[in-house]
Amino acid sequence: MRVVVLAVAIFLLTVPAWAHHAFAAEFDLKKPVKLEGTVTKMEWINPHAWIHIDVKGPDGKITSWMVEGGTPNILLRRGFTKQSLEKGTLVIVEGYQAKNGENRANGSNITFADGKRLFLGGSNPNEQPQ
Amino acid sequence: MLFLAAAGFSQTPPKTASAKPWTPPKTPWGDPDLQGVWPGTDLVGTPLQRDPSLGTRALLTDQEFAQRVERAKKQSDIDSQETVNEVTKCDPTRGGLGNTQTTCSNGVSIGPPLYWDDRGKPNRQASLVVDPPDGRIPPLTPDAQKSAAARASARRARPCAATAGGCHDSWEDESLWDRCITRGLLGSILPSTYNDGNQIVQAPGVVVLRNEMIHETRIIPVSSNGAGRPHPSPAIRSWMGDSRGHWEGNTLVVETTNFNDQTQLNNATVSDAARVVERFTRTDANTLEYRVTIEDPKTWTKPWTVQFPLKRDAEYRLYEYACHEGNYYMYNALTGARAEEKRAQ
Repeated sequence: MRVVVLAVAIFLLTVPAWAHHAFAAEFDLKKPVKLEGTVTKMEWINPHAWIHIDVKGPDGKITSWMVEGGTPNILLRRGFTKQSLEKGTLVIVEGYQAKNGENRANGSNITFADGKRLFLGGSNPNEQPQ
Repeated sequence: MLFLAAAGFSQTPPKTASAKPWTPPKTPWGDPDLQGVWPGTDLVGTPLQRDPSLGTRALLTDQEFAQRVERAKKQSDIDSQETVNEVTKCDPTRGGLGNTQTTCSNGVSIGPPLYWDDRGKPNRQASLVVDPPDGRIPPLTPDAQKSAAARASARRARPCAATAGGCHDSWEDESLWDRCITRGLLGSILPSTYNDGNQIVQAPGVVVLRNEMIHETRIIPVSSNGAGRPHPSPAIRSWMGDSRGHWEGNTLVVETTNFNDQTQLNNATVSDAARVVERFTRTDANTLEYRVTIEDPKTWTKPWTVQFPLKRDAEYRLYEYACHEGNYYMYNALTGARAEEKRAQ
């Protein structure tokens, strides 16, 4: 993947440097998803963090999803903390479902309910001051 | 912040940096003390090879540097958009890999969010390659060209190569990086996108170099005098080769041979004839100049050298890197390819 990463480095602004691996191998562009769910668990693991959320369907049925995140080092250096995504936090994920049909998705856009981006604000707007 | 970083950048040409008369502290047993965490993060975004239009200029002019700073500022502005909006969404009319019809749908890119990546700090270094003087990796040998062409042609001949996700018939189709094996010696320290932490720990007769990505660690025997212990038999080969170090003044010189012939660098195979010589020199309290020369007569027609400064960062932490445990990618890619095959039947 290194060749891809280096090649991408010279591309235009807003182009993500496709880090580490091929997203098109994992996720299906024909299966866009928009998920509104509450956080059940955050896995702080290398090479990528994963956010687990419960999504309530129109019929009230709950399905559990996993959403891929960045590497813990960058998330933490960008001000994200263990308290930023407590259980029960509502997040909205726009992305694509895994090609294998499982409830896994990349999170191209992950926001809190008020539209603020998850890993940039570094704090949950609904979080109660400690 | 970017502007502050830019203003603080040393304009010293890389080649003369090691000439500064600064004496590094010593370890209790008398070796130069290189210990600490030295991330390459600031260098992310500095091109490996030089834009040919810059010729043999190792440093950007004021105007070129201003353009680099401006580009970085724009990128930073986009990355730090607090809310997702039309600027932060992908757009097929905009061009670039994340903005094509196959990677962007309804304004959402199949790639990760922009803020996943480190962007580095703009500097004046025209390229990480400093020798040959044009900053370009020398041409491949005719044999290496042939084998690179054969590999590419074998890849293209597979029907899966034409699919959006590429070939994932087995784990062997995944890169050594994706398989949590290695990025190779040079790949492990070249600044790239994220997890660029490097740590040095010393003990009498040993220097340990740890690279964050895939938690690569080299335990290097170092002699205080002379060229150090000989390498093992040529029959013994490994991904990262066999590293032996010695001190030349305050510079740690590490020579590595005994590579297997299975790692890739810039789309070429690092052969079993490769010899890599690294030089680590502290040039001030917070700078470790890193210089590495690759000689591989089976692959490149000439040796080539990369050099860049690593900056001490006491705040930077290297976190546990249980790569296989955390590697959902392998499962997702292989099961995804099987599901695609079923759908195609």
